[in-house]
Amino acid sequence: MFTLPQKESKAPTTCPGPASTQDLDSNHGDGLERECSRKPDWKLPEFCGGGDPTATASSDSSHLSSRGSIIKWFWDSAEEGYRTYHMDEYDEDKNPSGIINMGTSENKLCFDLLSRRLSQSDMLWVEPSLLQYPDWRGHLFLREEVARFLSFYCKSPAPLKPENVVVLNGCASLFSALATVLCEVGEAFLIPAPYYGAITQHVYLYGGVRLVCVYLDSEVTGLDTRPFQLTVEKLEMALQRANFEGVKVKGLILINPQNPLGDIYSPGELRDYLEFAKRHKLHVMVDEVYMLSVFEKSAGYHSVLSLEGLPDPQRTHVMWATSKDFGMSGLRFGTLYTENRDVATAVASLCRYHGLSGLVQYQMAQLLRDRDWINQVYLPENHARLKAAHTYVAGELRALGIPFLSSGAGFFIWVDLRKYLPEATFKEEMLLWRRFLDNKVLLSCGKAFQCKEPGWFRLVFSDKAHRLCLGMQRVRQVLEGKSQVPDDPASCQSQESGNQRTGGETPPGVL
Amino acid sequence: MSHRLGMFRMPSAQMRGQGLRNQRIHTHLMEMMLHLKQTIEKNLMHLTTRHLQQDLVLEEQRHSQAASEQEALLGHLMYQLVNLLQSGAMGGLGLQPSCPSLDVRRDVRGGQWAQSSRQPDWPVHQLSDPEATFVSQHLSSRGIDISALYHSSFQDYKIYQRDKYHEDKNTMGFINLGLSENKLCLDLMTERLSQSDMNYIEDALLQYPDWRGQPFLREEVARFLTYYCKVPDQLDPENVVVLNGCSSVFSTLAMVLCDPGEAFLIPAPFYGGFAFSACLYSKVELILVHLDSEVTDANPHPFQLTVDKLEQALLEARLTGKKVRGLILINPQNPLGDVYSRDSLQEYLEFAKRYHLHVIIDEIYMLSVFDEFITFHSVLSMESLPDPNRTHVIWGTSKDFGISGFRFGVLYTHNREVASAVSSFGYLHGISGIAQHKLCRLLQDREWIDKVYLPTYRSRLQIAHGYMTKKLEALGIPFLNRGSGLYIWMNLKMYLDPCTFEEELLLHRRFLDNKLILSRGRTYMCKEPGWFRITFADKPLLLKQAMHRFYQVLSERKQDLIMKQLENAQRE
Repeated sequence: MFTLPQKESKAPTTCPGPASTQDLDSNHGDGLERECSRKPDWKLPEFCGGGDPTATASSDSSHLSSRGSIIKWFWDSAEEGYRTYHMDEYDEDKNPSGIINMGTSENKLCFDLLSRRLSQSDMLWVEPSLLQYPDWRGHLFLREEVARFLSFYCKSPAPLKPENVVVLNGCASLFSALATVLCEVGEAFLIPAPYYGAITQHVYLYGGVRLVCVYLDSEVTGLDTRPFQLTVEKLEMALQRANFEGVKVKGLILINPQNPLGDIYSPGELRDYLEFAKRHKLHVMVDEVYMLSVFEKSAGYHSVLSLEGLPDPQRTHVMWATSKDFGMSGLRFGTLYTENRDVATAVASLCRYHGLSGLVQYQMAQLLRDRDWINQVYLPENHARLKAAHTYVAGELRALGIPFLSSGAGFFIWVDLRKYLPEATFKEEMLLWRRFLDNKVLLSCGKAFQCKEPGWFRLVFSDKAHRLCLGMQRVRQVLEGKSQVPDDPASCQSQESGNQRTGGETPPGVL
Repeated sequence: MSHRLGMFRMPSAQMRGQGLRNQRIHTHLMEMMLHLKQTIEKNLMHLTTRHLQQDLVLEEQRHSQAASEQEALLGHLMYQLVNLLQSGAMGGLGLQPSCPSLDVRRDVRGGQWAQSSRQPDWPVHQLSDPEATFVSQHLSSRGIDISALYHSSFQDYKIYQRDKYHEDKNTMGFINLGLSENKLCLDLMTERLSQSDMNYIEDALLQYPDWRGQPFLREEVARFLTYYCKVPDQLDPENVVVLNGCSSVFSTLAMVLCDPGEAFLIPAPFYGGFAFSACLYSKVELILVHLDSEVTDANPHPFQLTVDKLEQALLEARLTGKKVRGLILINPQNPLGDVYSRDSLQEYLEFAKRYHLHVIIDEIYMLSVFDEFITFHSVLSMESLPDPNRTHVIWGTSKDFGISGFRFGVLYTHNREVASAVSSFGYLHGISGIAQHKLCRLLQDREWIDKVYLPTYRSRLQIAHGYMTKKLEALGIPFLNRGSGLYIWMNLKMYLDPCTFEEELLLHRRFLDNKLILSRGRTYMCKEPGWFRITFADKPLLLKQAMHRFYQVLSERKQDLIMKQLENAQRE
């Protein structure tokens, strides 16, 4: 039996995109308060306690500015789930009863391959120019390599140009910079929800830009052919509503492959969205950070850069990074590709604050250049491991009779746990999330992705077999109401070997 | 909202006078005409030389590229001229001249630009930088300002990037002694960073990090600063936040300590990067505490910072309704090279405490004190800080270790609230795990730092500084001799006639024409025209070449001045 935690609980997320910041329309705490009281239904549910920035902003803080207090709230609220996890991280030997992280979207399947590649002697190269002030757009040698790389893997009809590339320390920075140079404070981007919640923070911190959600439904109705389908009608409606409310929308954010849905947009759909944006003179930021993590060949992924004749090339800005596709979220490398020189220049003007080390730039160029390794070693192996891990988790979910979405891309499965909520509320969702955490498995709940239906969870499967197995065991325990049963690693091992037997192609040591 | 409006209404002091404004536009025009003339001449020269070398395909390509660049520049100049004329015509409306035009390039004026251009009836697009003007349909107005400010601030740097001096390959290229970059120990650094301990990969380095910086690095930074700042007690790694560069640290501090339009006090002249950072993201204003070169009773040393001056500037700002949240100190100072005594530091901090001001202390040159008779006192070495919760220290490896391309900056603050708020930005200013490992190894290697790196670095600084000062003395140029930093603050007033910022800019141009980049006092908000900062932390050969060019410009200039005086005398 679980009781409601006495202490306030906070946004349950490893991606620090607190649910509430939709409401932040300006840098000012008082503006926020007004906004909240005007739209009571937008207000944070009280169980998200610490998740109310106004409380912090108006608290007696003699040292921070009012925007500083809101900014700090992002840190505090994001940290809660993360902090609990970090204080009690699972370790096979040292802390076998620690928390298993199935919440953070990281690819932990290929560290062996990456460490080996990054330790090769060509990576250890130091020359004075790498140690000095760089070209803030990124060293030319790297931008050239990125252009070649994207031309090849995005199948662009014509070679991409290095002068359209800007390199910075991650896509988070890119969101921040784009928001700042494309919008005034208080203006907005459209984004189909559920979405990767951290974007809220990225566009807000410096840019003061808000996101307007295009809410998608799980139910298939009308012209939809699949759950959570994005359609131009939905985009139009969200835009109209925003206009009606006096919110100025400057752009549209698309994530393809989508996070957390795992959706892949067809070229036709992509074109429709781009045409919609063009009609309304909206910038489109396409985040393709999972583009090489499509592990089902049949999924048929198309980069926006592969389209012949973009509807509005001057307003189309593509983002990619090594965090996901190369499983190196700690490397902090992201890149922008845009034909709009003015946007590129404006973003580059901010790169003074978002630069990455020259030595790392060199290493990235070496890595991206090594097409043999990427095509013959890394990608096949990575895809096989992702697929095996996915097969295992999907099988477990099926055995539990849990519906889920997954299209063979990304590191996660979007899981429908609505039937486990006694009431369809976010409060119940949060309680379930907490039950998982109490049973030592960290997931991300739908609220963190601005999903409008309570009960959806994102489950990350790109981890080593023993951790996955234990994680799924703990998930099962919670769902079957048996979560206080102590962990039994032995049973997990037998399951693991059982799985290996059935999952024929599974490489040893992976699943 | 109210304080935002207040901000719009705040014209900066130097812009208030209408007469001054007209004068500025006049000089803008003069400047542009001059530049236009030069560009056309160069263009013609290219055209003629092109004929001579038509057989050389490579040469041809280079020339056509250069020519198209020149054509683009011509276009810009023409456009700016039109803009200026238009803005002149609108003089009666009380509009201020454009921000980043050629005239004010490398010039930074605090937080005013971006905000003023958002005034509804402000014809931004006409007045802004032409490059940005064409893009107004795609960028936000702050985006335009950011682009324009960047373009104007780094124009020299861009020219330099395209045509760098090289002792064998490009002897006619630009020599950049305007940038404060330590190039004296690249050999040592390259060697150290190439050692095998640097190339280490583990899973944790490739995963999402602690956004405040990896614990192993924060621990090492705490130990490092404890030792080199001579801290009485061990510093706490929990008070350390690591970001990708000191600009990022300052930018985040400005965000979390000030609301838009609020201000920091800063003694001027000062490193222009602060003004740049203050207005790019955070929209914070800088209130200048102007220092004088002239020695008087109240000013026992040139450019001395005193509590009286701080107090006066603060009270004046408050009178105008400005909310001042903090004080920025740079120690050792850039561009003056001043190292604050323990007592002075104490006084400044006490002053800040009295007025509840945060103090941001940038100690980025702390290991670059090369005069053995000068002792640097870190604020962290003080037995008891007057107001520890409002004292925030910045340090980085860019200067002291000459690795500005590494992007590493540190915040040390006792204030956990501030540290947490700054950490929210970790996502946007994160450093690669691989680089964090290398930095940790570097800072850990005390043996190498103390026995190899620092002694070599300091003796090279001494030699380079000695060479430069001797040359300046021989030329009879007054300068501040402070024994720290990578640069010398010198007074070239005698080469200006009249002594105005316009003349200062013209002299700066002359150096540029002679392929020498210095940075002029205006960039540091110095209130007296004629001061320049020259960097000496470079190889002897390059310095020699640079001083040759320097000498050439000054002797030509001297000739001109003599001619001018003769003409004047004749006329009389």
